[in-house]
Amino acid sequence: MYAVFIPAIAIIMAPFIRGRAAAYFSALTFVVSFFAILYAFVTKAEYMVDLFTAFEPVGRIYLLGDTVSHAFGFTIALVSAMVALYSYPYMKHRFEEMELNPSTEFKKYWFLYNLYAASMLWLVYAGNLILLYVFLEISLIASFLLIYYYGYGNRVWVGLLYFVWTNIAGVLALVGFLMIGFENKTLALDSIASVSMLAWLFVFIGMVVKLPGLGPHVWLPWAHAEAPTPVSALLSPLTVGLAAYILLRIYLIDQSFIEVYRSEIFLYGILTSVVAGFAVFKQKDHKRLLAYSTVSQMGYILIAFTLGTAGIVGVIIQYISHAFGKSILFMSAGAIIAVYHGLRDLDRMSGMHEQIPTIANAALIGFMNLSGILAIGMIGEFFILKGLVDTFGLSLDAILLVVFVFIISGLYSFYTMKRIYYGRVRDYEKAKVNRLLDTPLYIIGAISILFILPPLATWFVDAVISFLGGV
Amino acid sequence: METAALMELELNPGIWLMLFFAPILASFPIAFIWPKRQDSFARKLSILSVLGLFVSFLITVFILFRVEEGRYVYPWLPSIGINFVFVVDYLSKYMGALTGFIAFTIGVYGLEYMKDDYRLGWYWFFFNLFTASMLLVVYSDNLLMLLIGWEGLGIASWGLIGHWFRDDDELSYVGVIDRKMGPLKMFWSPSTGGWRAISTIRVGDMPMFLAVAAIFALTGTLDISRIPWAELFENIGMAGTVILLFAFLMGPFTKSAQLPFSEWLMTAMTGPTTVSALLHSATMVAAGTYLFMRVSWYIKPWEIQLAGVEIIYILVLSLGLISSLYGASVALASRERKVLLAASTMSSLGLMFASSAASFWIGEFAIVVAFWYLITHAFAKATLFLVAGHIIHETHDRFLGGDREVFSKMKLTALVTLFATITLAGIPPLTAYWVKSAMDEVMEKLVHEVNILPFAFLVTISVIYSAFLAKFFALNFWKGRHVHLHLHGGGVMKTAYTAMVSMLLVLLAVIYLGIDHAAEEFIKAGTVEVSFMVGILVLVAYVAGFIKPEHENFIGKILYDRVYVMLLNDYLIPKIGWAIAWIVDIFNRFLDFTAHTFIPALFGGISVSIRAVQSGSLERYAKIVVSFVLAILFIVSIVGWF
Repeated sequence: MYAVFIPAIAIIMAPFIRGRAAAYFSALTFVVSFFAILYAFVTKAEYMVDLFTAFEPVGRIYLLGDTVSHAFGFTIALVSAMVALYSYPYMKHRFEEMELNPSTEFKKYWFLYNLYAASMLWLVYAGNLILLYVFLEISLIASFLLIYYYGYGNRVWVGLLYFVWTNIAGVLALVGFLMIGFENKTLALDSIASVSMLAWLFVFIGMVVKLPGLGPHVWLPWAHAEAPTPVSALLSPLTVGLAAYILLRIYLIDQSFIEVYRSEIFLYGILTSVVAGFAVFKQKDHKRLLAYSTVSQMGYILIAFTLGTAGIVGVIIQYISHAFGKSILFMSAGAIIAVYHGLRDLDRMSGMHEQIPTIANAALIGFMNLSGILAIGMIGEFFILKGLVDTFGLSLDAILLVVFVFIISGLYSFYTMKRIYYGRVRDYEKAKVNRLLDTPLYIIGAISILFILPPLATWFVDAVISFLGGV
Repeated sequence: METAALMELELNPGIWLMLFFAPILASFPIAFIWPKRQDSFARKLSILSVLGLFVSFLITVFILFRVEEGRYVYPWLPSIGINFVFVVDYLSKYMGALTGFIAFTIGVYGLEYMKDDYRLGWYWFFFNLFTASMLLVVYSDNLLMLLIGWEGLGIASWGLIGHWFRDDDELSYVGVIDRKMGPLKMFWSPSTGGWRAISTIRVGDMPMFLAVAAIFALTGTLDISRIPWAELFENIGMAGTVILLFAFLMGPFTKSAQLPFSEWLMTAMTGPTTVSALLHSATMVAAGTYLFMRVSWYIKPWEIQLAGVEIIYILVLSLGLISSLYGASVALASRERKVLLAASTMSSLGLMFASSAASFWIGEFAIVVAFWYLITHAFAKATLFLVAGHIIHETHDRFLGGDREVFSKMKLTALVTLFATITLAGIPPLTAYWVKSAMDEVMEKLVHEVNILPFAFLVTISVIYSAFLAKFFALNFWKGRHVHLHLHGGGVMKTAYTAMVSMLLVLLAVIYLGIDHAAEEFIKAGTVEVSFMVGILVLVAYVAGFIKPEHENFIGKILYDRVYVMLLNDYLIPKIGWAIAWIVDIFNRFLDFTAHTFIPALFGGISVSIRAVQSGSLERYAKIVVSFVLAILFIVSIVGWF
């Protein structure tokens, strides 16, 4: 349990380590966490560590480690570790580009990066909604600062935009949390008896803004595209999906809201996914394209929430699979930016496999994750589809909608592959890619593939199923 | 030959692991080294990959002869009752050995054919993944496990069809470069070929995936041989059965390129010829029909006389026959070596579907016939592709062409082609004749059960089929235009296709000597008058095709353009898709403008203080947010108090 706090060492220490070693050190702390959490996950260990009891309505503040926390936790730890490694060459390039002094900037960077990643990790172990909210805000502020300092384009504007939107999300959720608190006289997860519809509504809308669903989704392409790429590689795979985690926690306490508005949420999820999926085809900016694909993938999560227990398994796996896939993809986009000095316009790319084959292959694994081919996403899709039949039976319209959503993901994935990496080779110079810019991608890729095979798949499904009490 | 319930047996899991992982792992060295160095050492690593294929091949032979029929279960997701279940039965043991042999032989051929390629790491990795995936599909009893292989086939075919991703070699295109028909571009590059393949396949795979999940949700098991099919169909009623089976069959239909999903197969010819050979014989397209056979084998539709099941089997029968006729006609009009063969494969696949679907009325024998046809076709088609690859290599020309000079300079090649074509056409007394005769018999029986159309279709298709095979031979080796030969090497390639074609003789021996229990039936069917008449008709067609391989006419032109089925892939669906994308884009821009420009500007106009927020002063902003949060907290606390 305490292993999740190992990255705290990195928050404090890494800024004082010079050069590459800071990256390795930060990654190491997250990797240790990863293995510890994975071990806890496999052994189905459950923890509850009391911190203190606050006044009513906050109630008992404690740390909670169960299967759901572990599943989200090891994903966050792994992706954060790999992105930390990747950060070093990338941010070095970024600092040079911005004409900043790398040695001082790295100090700031490592502090913020590790704080950001660790706060997300701690968020999933928070046993009290207030504690959870605190971590949510810390991650928000740290990521905001990273965008504000090192982002692209009009970074100040984008940073504020990001801050405002996610604050709306956070505050709405907080209102919901507080209502829960007043209703139950506590905000400790294990003592909340029920969640009123109004409170649910606030949390739900807040999290839909963060997730994001259709409508509020407009903030995401800005933030994810203009953030420095390592931050995008945490924002998009990890942060937005935390909304799913929060919804999941509330769902595990009280399912009433989802049950009452099942078909509305289902359709909203479909609409989100389809609209964002089609938007992917129209994008000209590499990172914006990936950002829209995130919105589309988050639509899966909304859909899965309405599909009963199997759907909940789908939510968890979808979070993991999207985190793996999208972190690979953002890092691949970043690698092109780093190697070809800010190249991210898709109209200026084609046949890139020629110059950077290792990045192209990694991107393929990323897209395979998104479209659920030979990677953990496949099992996620399986559970979502099972949930669909459990919930709606063999109803043709529901089937067609979900199948359509899944098809679109596959199509935009391979269409993008073709656009960027296939076709006429342009005369960019063949580049030698820094090892830290491609190896982390392959590590995540390998793990995402190993997750469909025993023993990982066996452990994983067993742990989740026994936690949820069968599907 | 009643299939008794399969026993659960024990077998060292190492064998299965080796079967699938030997080829994949053996391709790792070259896959990892290639991006870094492309020297002669890296090229030599190809041999290691082929060695991996060889190991797989040996294991499939071992399974064929030494492993008992039964189910072999290893835990995968035991908590939900889904496990790795391998099945060794009549279908899988032959199909496995067939796949192993063909993949290995083509692998050897590839050593020479691909020796100067610029992307060997990629090639061998996906080639071996392709083989391993197919083997997984072949031996899977569990549908989810089968889907892993199924997806593996999809991704590997994408990788291989688009292998020459640079789109810079005319030889790798399909169609006449720069030719246009109205809005349609009638030529396709490798990257387009890959995209068309994967986009078509995804459309089929997702419904199939849903059907698999639905079967699991409804029955709690995914083992094909254990699913209570009859009970399942009764429970979900007619509409449910039709939806479920149709969704399931979308996978096989797209993979096996039945109408209207045929276009990707034609442009799959943009890949290296070795890939076409493998794709068209034992893997990928065969996977679709094989899966239909496997599922029908255990559904036993002849025992379930439910309306829903009947509708589906009639659908498959009709779709198979129509696709087959279409494929044969297109092949007849084709001018490209590989495209002709591709269309002919589609035609054969249609026959396999149709024949297996006939099992609803005829029983298991119809599936056996379809399966034997699959095997015969696989060897013959692989041979023809390998030959085509060799000629393309020697002539640097992908269009049909070659006069007697080619015949005299490439005698062995010509003879192999001749033998493969007449065997596949179904000319008595060669291999396919016996199998086709049995198929004639099956379709003839349908005259009483359905109507005369299936039989009439089959005879027509057989005649056209024979004619275009004769055309293929005549235009490449005898009567085609003059081509320049660049003869060099080719020894390995010749050995490979000679080995491949000799398997047709092995099959013939199996039939004559009655080694397999089906053989007896085939001989019986082949000696019936009707079958013999069809055989003669086919022979006449072959001769006619040889004498007059080319004939220009209006219908031929339409067929040459594949009846414009590509309108769907290249025009209609993209147009609709882009229209939606356009609307979506406008919607997004509108939202974006409203949220990020219009509303802030509105506030800006009203209040100077709001504008100050956008000044970028971090400190001030933080203060505002904090007070916002505090204010909300305050309000909520008050609300909560009451």
